[in-house]
Amino acid sequence: MTHHPALSAPAGNGDDEAMYAIADVCRRAAGGDFEARVPRLGDSDAFVEARSAINELLDRTDAFVREAGAASAAGAAGNFYRRFLSGGMGGAYRRAAEEIGRSGDAMSRNADEIAAAAESRLTFADELESAVLALSERIATSAGEMGRSANGLAGFARAAVTDAERGLGTVNDLRRSSGQIRKAVDLINRVAMQTQLLSLNASIEAARAGAAGRGFSVVANEVKTLANETGESSGEIIDQVDAVQAASEDAVRVLRAVTDRIREMSTLIDGIAAAVDGDTAHETTGLSELATVLRTEVERFLTAARA
Amino acid sequence: MKNTRVRPTGRERTFSEDELIVTKTDPRGSITYANDVFLRMSALHEEDALGQPHNLIRHPDMPRAVFKLLWDTLKDRREMFAYVVNLAADGAHYWVFAHVTPSYDDTGRVVGYHSNRRVPSRSAVTAADDLYRVLRAAESRHDRPQDAVAAGHAALQQILAERNRTYDELVWDLSAGGAR
Repeated sequence: MTHHPALSAPAGNGDDEAMYAIADVCRRAAGGDFEARVPRLGDSDAFVEARSAINELLDRTDAFVREAGAASAAGAAGNFYRRFLSGGMGGAYRRAAEEIGRSGDAMSRNADEIAAAAESRLTFADELESAVLALSERIATSAGEMGRSANGLAGFARAAVTDAERGLGTVNDLRRSSGQIRKAVDLINRVAMQTQLLSLNASIEAARAGAAGRGFSVVANEVKTLANETGESSGEIIDQVDAVQAASEDAVRVLRAVTDRIREMSTLIDGIAAAVDGDTAHETTGLSELATVLRTEVERFLTAARA
Repeated sequence: MKNTRVRPTGRERTFSEDELIVTKTDPRGSITYANDVFLRMSALHEEDALGQPHNLIRHPDMPRAVFKLLWDTLKDRREMFAYVVNLAADGAHYWVFAHVTPSYDDTGRVVGYHSNRRVPSRSAVTAADDLYRVLRAAESRHDRPQDAVAAGHAALQQILAERNRTYDELVWDLSAGGAR
């Protein structure tokens, strides 16, 4: 067996050599070199004890430094099962070891929380995705239905306006016709009055003619009766015509109100159709297209969130 | 070497929780430093230990595969933890929770290895003993050392696979039982 250098007691002046040997090891340790240990200094109890004490100090410091480095590296790598070994550590070494152990625990908890948060983020992403998919499908379906309904309604409204306008024309025709009737009746009325006047003069002349005018008087009387009946009938007709005209005016007002309402409704329906299908003139996006955009945007967001 | 002929007596020796067993070796595994606790536990004088290969205290109960893993891990410049039973020169044995790390110089070159051993919990010792019995049984079926190592290694990998743990995780599972 070769004689190990650590076993050789220093030659020469024992005390000085021993102190230099200690100083050398301490300086190396102070510089962060924990490989050096104090070699055998001599056989006296004091030398043995000093060597043992210094080497124990170096061993514990060495152990602490190795643990601090390795445990922190393990924590940084996420290997939280690797604990700081505080065995063989006393006093401040132990307190610092426990402190590092606690910070490892905190890191482990944080890592768990981050992992849990990441997991719930993924769950949320899945939920959001299925919700958005379902929503956008329903929007697209509803938009389609709304678009078709709006087009149908617009068609109905146009037809209703046309019908109402035709009705208005008919009523106006009726009003014009009744006006003409009224003029005709006025004319008849004037004729009847003149006929009455004429029959009166005829009956006076018949009376002056005496017996010779008797037959003529009968005719004059008949004429008067006819004229009177004509006048009465004309009055009734005028009343009827007035009633027809009043009714036509009401009908015209109502029809105008109806067409105005339908036109307003038509504008609203056009608005709905534009909201659903989009409006190229105003560069607005339709609802079904918006649903597709929503889906695309959410997919893009989810891809980023899942990364 | 005379130490390989030491016969285990079955007597167990323990050390205190406050103590550290420390040795350093050169890159080839020869002991360059052994502290007082190591010498006391191993029943060795300093001159019997220094310059000797570290298997000086090798106990026959230790599976070869564990030492193979130890050296592979250290060559990878990683720290290694292991429960180890050592054989003292007087035939007694002692269990340790060993933490072996490479020592580097300022340029990052490995200048040797350093081993700190702490006293393990009894539950960890029992579990390690059971594990090693299985590995040893696998190794004992082979005569050639390299075959024995391979068989022990395969048995260890199978146990780890069954438990879905890495070796490090398994070791720390045992430590959770109380190794400080």
